[in-house]
Amino acid sequence: MEAEIRTLPEVSQDVLASLRPPSLTPEKIQERLSYIIEKDRVVGDLPRRFLEAFAAVLKHTNYRQVIDNYARIPARCANCACACQIYQQTHDPKDVPCYRSNLLLEVYRRHFTLRGIVEGHLSGAPFLTDDLILEMAETYYHCTACRRCTLECPLGIDHGLVTHLARYVLSEIGLVPRALVISTREQLEGQTRNTSAIPWPAIADTLEFLEEEIKDDKGVDVKFPVDQPGREFIFFAPVSDYLMEAETLMGIAVVFYATGAMDSWTISTEFLDGINYGLFYSDWILERCLREELEQLRRLEARKILIGECGHASRSAKAFMRTFGGGEKAPPVVNIMEYTYRALKEGKLRLDPDVISERVTYHDPCNLARTGWIIDEPREILRSFCRDYVEMEPRGQWNLCCGGGGGTVSVDEIRPYRTGVTGVKKAEQIRATGAHYVVAPCANCKKQLREVCEDNGLDDVEVVGLHDLIYKAIVLE
Amino acid sequence: MLESWIELARGPLLRLALLAMAVGLLRQVLLQVWEISWAFHRAGDQVVPWRVALRRNLEWLLPWRYLQRKERRAYNFTSFLFHVGVIAVPLFLAGHVAIWNQELGLSWWTLPPAVADWLTAITVVAALGLLLGRMVNSASRVISKFQDWALPVLCILPFVTGFWVAHPLWSPFDAQVVYLVHLLSAELLLILVPFSKLVHMVLFWVSQTSSELGWRFPPGSGERVRVTLGKETEGI
Repeated sequence: MEAEIRTLPEVSQDVLASLRPPSLTPEKIQERLSYIIEKDRVVGDLPRRFLEAFAAVLKHTNYRQVIDNYARIPARCANCACACQIYQQTHDPKDVPCYRSNLLLEVYRRHFTLRGIVEGHLSGAPFLTDDLILEMAETYYHCTACRRCTLECPLGIDHGLVTHLARYVLSEIGLVPRALVISTREQLEGQTRNTSAIPWPAIADTLEFLEEEIKDDKGVDVKFPVDQPGREFIFFAPVSDYLMEAETLMGIAVVFYATGAMDSWTISTEFLDGINYGLFYSDWILERCLREELEQLRRLEARKILIGECGHASRSAKAFMRTFGGGEKAPPVVNIMEYTYRALKEGKLRLDPDVISERVTYHDPCNLARTGWIIDEPREILRSFCRDYVEMEPRGQWNLCCGGGGGTVSVDEIRPYRTGVTGVKKAEQIRATGAHYVVAPCANCKKQLREVCEDNGLDDVEVVGLHDLIYKAIVLE
Repeated sequence: MLESWIELARGPLLRLALLAMAVGLLRQVLLQVWEISWAFHRAGDQVVPWRVALRRNLEWLLPWRYLQRKERRAYNFTSFLFHVGVIAVPLFLAGHVAIWNQELGLSWWTLPPAVADWLTAITVVAALGLLLGRMVNSASRVISKFQDWALPVLCILPFVTGFWVAHPLWSPFDAQVVYLVHLLSAELLLILVPFSKLVHMVLFWVSQTSSELGWRFPPGSGERVRVTLGKETEGI
């Protein structure tokens, strides 16, 4: 590997200072990138390590062919800027998706193509500097990887893929938001095996409590099945649901009760967290999380993977299970909304139209809607029992991101950015609907939208999951 | 003197430019096909929606997609007109088909002269429009590089001079000079195709497929990257 990598000469502080854009003084780095691990290594061997990591990634993955294509074809028409809610908010050239992608593509051009290497030798100037790497570390986490811009690129460039790749390479040199690393470490290498570090006894207590709640509210005995072998579905929800979104879980449990399929699903005690931050920053993590899910499926002899109300958990399982689960042999992946929709169509759900009188609107999580996967199902469910259902504009495949996509919602340090920049358009959109309930079937979107509403003066808005409302309205015998 | 230059530009230089473009494009195509097949071979999930991907590319060739949307409608439609002209006139102008016939022994349908004239005018206006659009849109202006400004200008040159070649009375310059500029600018453009963003004329067709394959990881690639970087024993 070594031979493929150019070692860069030591660069004097003067040169670095002259290259450094004004936005990236050490103070700014301290202030703006403090959430990124290894913040002290402002000057050092970052370029060499970045290029080594980039070379290793290009060697072992399928990114080279697509990056090579993207590096050659951009027409720089800026169609993507019209689609980007961040650029529309800031009008900062650094937020044009094509500009952002070009940072990594330029590194590829300069260091991994013949022409770039020749040019580099002729000009002699160091191209990849610490500052450029830090700029990438900052800007690729400003992007929420919502992929709206990919719908607008005439040349078919997927800027979400470039963001993912850049973050992957950065993560291999330790530049990744601390919040994501700590959660993932606990999920895959910790004692509790989930991103929120909740020990199983606490979750068991919660489930017991929820069962009692359902008994009180609905008068029926509903059990959360745990470690039951041979079931149709093994269920993975974002673990935060067990802490903060109890009504979502209760809603899911009563849907199973209503469909007479209480014995068709199970939760695993060993690994129940559907969260997969690998989708946001690392193929290595992505694969490990999915292999854990597959392992639990085999252990409990389940046949399908059922993901709760979570956009990225659903997409990472749906889009990559075949990759790691043996292609044709991989288990099918189902999102809970698809299950509930089928139950509705089969007439198994009785939802009381008199319960929800407030205005309701639906927010499309990017990871469910951008590819056109799940758009109409939740709407049909909502329309069946919400009298005052209104749509946001734009919606569906063209939805606006909640502003906390791509894992950025987990980074509490950048909340002012998330709610004051990336989430502003969403806040305007919600305000325009006049809705009381914003249904967001995604743990990340829910957290972000609550913060967006709080910081943008939308005090009357309540952000809920789809199954929260179903739980309120369902009629059980 | 000029005549010998024109002879050179009409004959050997034209052949050289076409050859350079063909070889350059062929190299790009072969590399891309090789890379794509290798990626497909390694992918854990080999169900690739080839047709859907190609259809997404094709959708962008036709204007109905962006005419439906408000944003950038004028710019995108101008771009559409520009592309129609820039492809149709070099290939289907009667004078050009005669050259292709003479060089390659192939002949095909030709544009009626009046249509060719209008298309030429539209192409030039569209190219100016694209430059103007690039100038007034701040996002586009800021991300533009040298070639984004230079290539439209370079495209205008053979079209304007070509029009004067066909209508010498309209030309303010010496006919031979105009003809020479026409030939040389067109040849320069042809040579630049594989080395500039113009290479999208071939790479465009696979960009969506490339994206799909980029998301189709080879199983175990993450672990192999760790091993290559000497981090196989390190935790998260």
